[in-house]
Amino acid sequence: MKRIIYFLSISVLLFSCKKKETEYLITYPDYFPQPHYNFTNNDFSKARFELGRKIFHDTRLSSDNSISCATCHAQVHAFADHGVSLSSGVNGTLGTRNSPAIFNMIWSKHFNWDGGVNHLEIFPFAPITNPLEMNEDISNVLQKLNSDSEYKKMFQNAYGNSEITDQLLYRALAVFMGALISADSKYDKMRKGKATFTSSEERGYNLFKQNCNSCHNEPLFHNNDFANNGLDEQFEDFGRYLITLNESDKGKFKVPTLRNIELTYPYMHDGRFQTLSQVINHYSEGIKQSSTLHPLLSQPFQFSVQEKQDLTAFLRTLTDYTLTSKFEFSE
Amino acid sequence: MKNLKFPLFALLALSIFATSCKKKHNHDENGTVKMSFTHTWGMNNAPFALNTQLIHPMNGDTMNFSTFKYYVSNIQLKKNDGSWWTMPESYFLVDVSSAASLTLEIPEVPEGTYIAFKYTMGVDSTRNVSGAQAGALSTTNGMFWSWNTGYIMVKAEGTSPQSSTGNFAFHLGGFSGANSIVTTTEVPFTDNLVVSHETTKTIKMRSNPARLFHGGESVSNGGTVMMPGTRAKTLATNFYGGVTFLGIE
Repeated sequence: MKRIIYFLSISVLLFSCKKKETEYLITYPDYFPQPHYNFTNNDFSKARFELGRKIFHDTRLSSDNSISCATCHAQVHAFADHGVSLSSGVNGTLGTRNSPAIFNMIWSKHFNWDGGVNHLEIFPFAPITNPLEMNEDISNVLQKLNSDSEYKKMFQNAYGNSEITDQLLYRALAVFMGALISADSKYDKMRKGKATFTSSEERGYNLFKQNCNSCHNEPLFHNNDFANNGLDEQFEDFGRYLITLNESDKGKFKVPTLRNIELTYPYMHDGRFQTLSQVINHYSEGIKQSSTLHPLLSQPFQFSVQEKQDLTAFLRTLTDYTLTSKFEFSE
Repeated sequence: MKNLKFPLFALLALSIFATSCKKKHNHDENGTVKMSFTHTWGMNNAPFALNTQLIHPMNGDTMNFSTFKYYVSNIQLKKNDGSWWTMPESYFLVDVSSAASLTLEIPEVPEGTYIAFKYTMGVDSTRNVSGAQAGALSTTNGMFWSWNTGYIMVKAEGTSPQSSTGNFAFHLGGFSGANSIVTTTEVPFTDNLVVSHETTKTIKMRSNPARLFHGGESVSNGGTVMMPGTRAKTLATNFYGGVTFLGIE
């Protein structure tokens, strides 16, 4: 009896101030690095994830209630847009850069093509308020959501507060976006010993490791850095320079992940290339010289036809149909 | 079992006491201090007001401000034993259009005699890199850049014939490296600040928006600053240099 009492009082002591729900969905292979976003002050929970998912799919985030995050970040395209170079905002206005894919965000240090946003939680503030995208005032969004009793209940459940603030809205979205982990491609199955590459994929993988891996580092297939990959001699969009104002950043953009690249066409910051073969041709023989060009691209790769086919075969092993079909991620 | 009753009760009471999340404050040992800001224009300290035509005493620019707001943060008080008391969650947005925002409340200051204070103009680097914030630091205040993360620490907007567009908009920020405009100042009290639960003392401050254009700056150099950089740094440093401690009341 005494023991039971001690046990009870100790458990009351341990659990009364902080309830931590068992983490679910945040799992990744052991060859992945430590995440950059660790849900600090925003512990992962199912209630928060489901709330974030509802917000992600809610068109009330836009000024005319026509566009949600999912409009331009669709699960079937690995949370990039539906094959368009530039995305339409409210009233059909076109944005200036290609919609990036949203997955493996907890490993990203910078957001947007120019890396101007430094934190996953405040990333949604940009598309919500951009006149070319959702064109909405954040206070209006809060007003709309606060008049919905279902939301108030969900916020109460998830954060212990039924008053919806921008901080809680961003945190719920960060929990949902943070859970969009892509780690179940054929490449991953190969890494785990559960699949074998074809000989073409294997040759493509070797070519990739020789030529591409210094920027598109495994296993995330990006390096959290910026590069000028030789698209133009004269820049129409100065990219990273617009954030840093350093001359050496002119024409540099964030190195995107190659995971799910088969699904996230068209390619580059302005969506100028429609197909993977156009992209490979660019690196093979289309590099344009400029002062900030990445030094490893100064000599064209000059891939043979077979090598191009092999590289494409390898890039297709990075497609993750678990991400694109996972029921928990859809509306 | 019978003789267990008392220890059981005591144990339960103890665990409830030990686990209650709220801190109990003994209000007898704490007092409230206020810090208030008045705004003047130019070296003669003419009154500053929004939506009023003002002539800059140095560069002659005609300016009509529609907005003037800035962050004051991280208020600390130095006790007569040399130790510093730091106000937790100390972030304030001073907005000339809102009378209530001109007086900052510093609650739960331990009673005692204080000989100096510190304040920061701007928002420290940590809060610029730590994601979604609340209160004075919420993005609903229009003081946060969406596309280039960071707080707009001073926002001055209005009209001026000296601007090529007729308008001016100075959004000043920057939290890292050479472009940082986060500025902490320590000021000794002329007469000691005595904090007690019986009276509320006010630290009187004065800001002078004309100081933005101290030392040769003018709207005619360009009416728009929208990101961190050398000009933002010049304007903010000028303005911060004119923030003055007037005394305790």
